[in-house]
Amino acid sequence: MLEELTAGFPILSCILFLPVVGAIVLWFMDDEDTVRSSTLTVALVELALSVFVLLRFIPESAAMQFAERVQWIPALGISYHLAVDGISVLFVGLTAFLTVLVVVYSWDTIRHQVKLYMMCLLALETTTMGVFLSLDLILFFVFWELMLIPSYFLIKLWGGGAERHYAALKFVIYTLLGSVFMLVGIALLDINYHQWASLHHSDHAYSFDLLELLTVPIPISQQILIFWLMFLGFAFKAPVFPFHTWLPDALLEGPIGMAVVLAGLKLGTFGFIRFSIPLLPDASKSDMVVMVVVALGLCAILYGAWMALVQADFRRLLAYSSVSHLGFVVVGLFALNYQGLQGSLLTMINLGFSTAGLFFIAGFLYSRQQTTQLAAFGGMAKQVPLLATFFLIIGLASIGLPGTNGFVGEFLILLGAFEAKWWVGSVAVLGVIFGAAYFLWYYERSMLGPLGSSVKSTMNDLQLREMVIAVSLSIMILWIGLYPSPFLKIMNGSVQALVDRLHHEKTAALDNGMTERR
Amino acid sequence: MSFSLNLSLSDLLLLLPEIFLTCWLCVVITIDFVSPRLPKERLAYLSVGGLLATLGCLAWFDMNQVSGTLFGNMFVLDRMAIFFKIFILGSTILVILASIEYVDRFTLFRGEYYALVVMSALGMMFMASANDLLSVFVSLEFSTLGFYILVSYLRDDLASNEAGLKFFILGVFAAGLFAYGISLVYGETGKLVFSDMTSAPATPGLIIGFLLIFAALGFKIGAVPFHSWIPDTYHGAPTPVTAFLSIAPKGAALAILLRIFIVALGTFKPTWIYLLVAVSIVSMTYGNIVAIAQRNIKRLLAYSGIAQIGNVLIGLAAGTKMGNDAILFYLLAYLFANIGAFAVVIAVSQAIGRDEIEDYRGLGRRSPFLAFSMLLFLLSLAGVPPLAGFVGKLYIFIAAIKEGLYTLITVGLINIVISMYYYLIVVKQMYINEPIDPSPISISGPMKAVIYVGLAGTLAIGIYPQPFTDWVVAATLMFANFVTPAAAVTPPSLLIGG
Repeated sequence: MLEELTAGFPILSCILFLPVVGAIVLWFMDDEDTVRSSTLTVALVELALSVFVLLRFIPESAAMQFAERVQWIPALGISYHLAVDGISVLFVGLTAFLTVLVVVYSWDTIRHQVKLYMMCLLALETTTMGVFLSLDLILFFVFWELMLIPSYFLIKLWGGGAERHYAALKFVIYTLLGSVFMLVGIALLDINYHQWASLHHSDHAYSFDLLELLTVPIPISQQILIFWLMFLGFAFKAPVFPFHTWLPDALLEGPIGMAVVLAGLKLGTFGFIRFSIPLLPDASKSDMVVMVVVALGLCAILYGAWMALVQADFRRLLAYSSVSHLGFVVVGLFALNYQGLQGSLLTMINLGFSTAGLFFIAGFLYSRQQTTQLAAFGGMAKQVPLLATFFLIIGLASIGLPGTNGFVGEFLILLGAFEAKWWVGSVAVLGVIFGAAYFLWYYERSMLGPLGSSVKSTMNDLQLREMVIAVSLSIMILWIGLYPSPFLKIMNGSVQALVDRLHHEKTAALDNGMTERR
Repeated sequence: MSFSLNLSLSDLLLLLPEIFLTCWLCVVITIDFVSPRLPKERLAYLSVGGLLATLGCLAWFDMNQVSGTLFGNMFVLDRMAIFFKIFILGSTILVILASIEYVDRFTLFRGEYYALVVMSALGMMFMASANDLLSVFVSLEFSTLGFYILVSYLRDDLASNEAGLKFFILGVFAAGLFAYGISLVYGETGKLVFSDMTSAPATPGLIIGFLLIFAALGFKIGAVPFHSWIPDTYHGAPTPVTAFLSIAPKGAALAILLRIFIVALGTFKPTWIYLLVAVSIVSMTYGNIVAIAQRNIKRLLAYSGIAQIGNVLIGLAAGTKMGNDAILFYLLAYLFANIGAFAVVIAVSQAIGRDEIEDYRGLGRRSPFLAFSMLLFLLSLAGVPPLAGFVGKLYIFIAAIKEGLYTLITVGLINIVISMYYYLIVVKQMYINEPIDPSPISISGPMKAVIYVGLAGTLAIGIYPQPFTDWVVAATLMFANFVTPAAAVTPPSLLIGG
């Protein structure tokens, strides 16, 4: 069956390069409206391709599907290897979905240098897709780093805040700092493979291929070293507390579109589940690592929620709530059991709808009041009932109310955490309570009660484009909340294989995909 | 030591590129004298033609694996020498093309400029082939002589004169150190040819001798602490000369360093590794930190060049075949990015007349092509994927990690982050700030060609590096006998190195 799928058309390469090709084509256009509609077309085609991949994806399977592999730099063992499995395929769809919404949102909110903005946005989509699709660690790193360049320009050129130059630079330097450590970790993996291969007289001396690296045993001391090096890379990007200080700045100063991508796509934690845990199972299981990482996760949950409680600016609140949610994801990941991993993976996807959705709401508020400060709002529900309704739906999803997507994910994480260590679960539960508190309190002060003094009576409710965004997000939120099984089915196979690998029952499970291909 | 000068015709074949270029040089000078009314541009194209022919000849050598030694091992033509000669010729061609417009600023001796550039290139070609201490000394001085004049070519410009004087005094001082080093080494071993010295015992005289030689070569490549001439000289010299100075002599001197460290001193690797690690760390850190404070683009590139050399020395410190491959590869990546960046600097300074970073305000509006090229060149220098510089840095780091040089790697990686900061300062000026004078900048044809070559090289090496890795791997094959076998089986200990 795999042959049948891979035989055809290099669909993942198309998904990967379509946006950047679109960006290059945009360069030759002059009219702003043409630029906007072409960008939307590219984003929609991309979404269609991603949905096609999701539909053709075989659920309940750990195999790498739609694989494409070509040698790139044989001297260093670097290959161009793309594939999706249950872990990454949902992110591909999510990226395409969010990009469409960002394009729709930016339609009339971005007014200067539209062409450059759309080019940056499409370039960002390619690099993000690259991160999710790459199975070669260097290829992955290439996209991981490249993402900084469009992000830098997006924050710097279209950011609304006065501190955007500082925020852009801080973002780039922080992420870069983390990723250079990750590069050392990647190189150590490669050297380890090389040593193992030369002992066993294998023909390729070097390899950065995830599937090949998985076949090689790594001594535990090396694993721990590599784990921490890669941890720095992922932790800065995620960001895991205490590496999160760039996030509030970047989210507040950057444009809404950038904030949606930064907060909606959990690249850092994806890195953990894609690379760190499967490649370094013994290190991920070791007490020291689990203790430190889970402790950081719990700190993030509480600290993020506590900080969110006192923020007067909605975007800053969201930034800290993001930190708090990431704490949940990290705790779920390092519970290292089936529920925890599954819950974390689902939560990462959920945040792509709820946190990103709240950023769109922030954008709607911003375009009405030119600020997201609490002082500018109050009693808005009377003036803009639709906006207030969708604000509530998406917000409740972010809290994790039963019936919304957030509930399924958080519930699974808590289940996993209780199963691993009861006290971890009980601390994490506090985060849920805080989460409800900071959101509902903010909602009450901004939307309910008497009309705020600065709220104009001429304020419009949601426009057509804003409705499209809000409705499509709400549909996804309710779909995952009420009927999550299609999504869980897609990830089950890969999550099960990961758990098996972690617990050595059948270590070869994750490699099945590769042996089948051979 | 007997010296036979019985040259057969087939021996002369090995010298063919140099002989041809010498004759061509004479032709260029003669034409300049005979017809003073000839537009100097023609002389430039004439020189480029000769260089291209030489390049073709070397490429033919490389394909047919012509190799051999001459003059009692003084002159060696192996694939590494051919690699470096092609490197030097390539950079010379690009520099000449980038100079054509700039030469109008010189009040006198415009024709001789091209002859001097070609002459320096000739000297450096000999450096790439030099296989004993005397030929190293002679060829080093031969190439530097041309540079002494070139650096101070802007006669009426005080900065250029100052640059020339500084370069001359420090250059002569380095030459003195070198000669002293040679005398010590010869006194201790009685040998001059590198490959004869392999079994020499490490006496104090020999060590001091080699340290002096290292200092002199360190001066050439601009490694800290021998870098003090670089910023002022780069700043004051005519920009095309700065570009030339920042690439070709570094390549040629690295050819010699490779031969000395790997061939002559291969057995002392455990000792010299500390020297190289220290120099590399200091060069990277100093170059990058000081670059942050620069306001002039030429000075910024000067300090970034110092830092880049620190990166190259990581490969030398690894001291393996892979390390050498990585150095050659890195130099290729550096060649395209650096020459491209300087070409943009020349084009901008032709239009604006100044080289301050401030003058790059709004370049993205004034000339999208120049700004985008500069962006790619700077990102390649910083090592951002998928550009050439990234693959180069990756290659070097893997070679070093394989030898367990973790301290060095950590410093190198932190330096990437620092360097990103000041490259972004330039990017910010180009794209974020509004231009003061929004008029577009025109670019001459040859300059465009140089920038296109730089872009093509930077992208091609980054995206499809395989032919280039194959080439550098083949170029250092003869080192395979000299480098210590990799201790591949045991996991590298965390304690080795620095």
